[in-house]
Amino acid sequence: MTDWLLLHYKLPSKPSALRVYIWRKLKRLGAILLHEAVWVLPDNPRTAEQIQWLAAEIQERGGNAYYWRANTILGEHEESIRQQFNEQVDAVYSDLLKRLEKPRADLQEIAKQYQRAASQDFFHSKLGLRVRKKLTSERGEKP
Amino acid sequence: MKWVTWENIGVDRMACAWLILRWIDPEAEFSFIHMGEKSLPKDGEPFDIPGARYSHHAGHCTFYIFLKEHNLDDPVLARIAQIVDEADEIQEVTVEPAALGLDLICRGVRRISKDDFEALEHGRLIYEALYAELSRDEI
Repeated sequence: MTDWLLLHYKLPSKPSALRVYIWRKLKRLGAILLHEAVWVLPDNPRTAEQIQWLAAEIQERGGNAYYWRANTILGEHEESIRQQFNEQVDAVYSDLLKRLEKPRADLQEIAKQYQRAASQDFFHSKLGLRVRKKLTSERGEKP
Repeated sequence: MKWVTWENIGVDRMACAWLILRWIDPEAEFSFIHMGEKSLPKDGEPFDIPGARYSHHAGHCTFYIFLKEHNLDDPVLARIAQIVDEADEIQEVTVEPAALGLDLICRGVRRISKDDFEALEHGRLIYEALYAELSRDEI
């Protein structure tokens, strides 16, 4: 069973840029917003550390944040949340695979985007492994 | 002086402990409390604990805050602060590829150390090495 980190917060209404700033940080972490209400991340040492500091920053900037470590009670809910995390990275991976098919693909740029997606690939998507293999084999082709 | 932080130290706190011993308080004594604990020992200065003076502020790691608070104006330390920021804080833009590696190494160091005191000692070697190497190609 996966341990999840949940984050729920309230921000002061101004400045409005703060809303975007916090939202972008959560997206960058790979968090998912469930029902426009609660942010979810799988629990690991890195995500736990990041959520803790993000909550502290929300507090520091005049907002209020609660975060929990939680389990789902129904197995199907666990499955559905995992799937949402996978879909999020798979969307990026399939785009990268398409781009890798093209002649003269920009390998450096693709590798960069792969790394970013991989940092959010909490459940080890098979598609990610394909991108990785493709990238490392392309790299091996010397003229 | 006594310094207090949460147990299970990682990239930021190892860096801070090295910085304190090397640049701020060579006589520093460290103690570790459970994560989440709010009741701090009265005679200790807390660091890297949410809400403390020496903690993350405005999206920067505690190491960076130490440099600011103590006016440590050294380009190599500033570079290390950038690396620790990228390892320990969520960043839109990253320019230090060493950050993720350093984060992994520090986690591993804690894992193979018998306690936080030992991890802190190993951490000192890592940051001393990083400082020495970065001093050679200071930018």
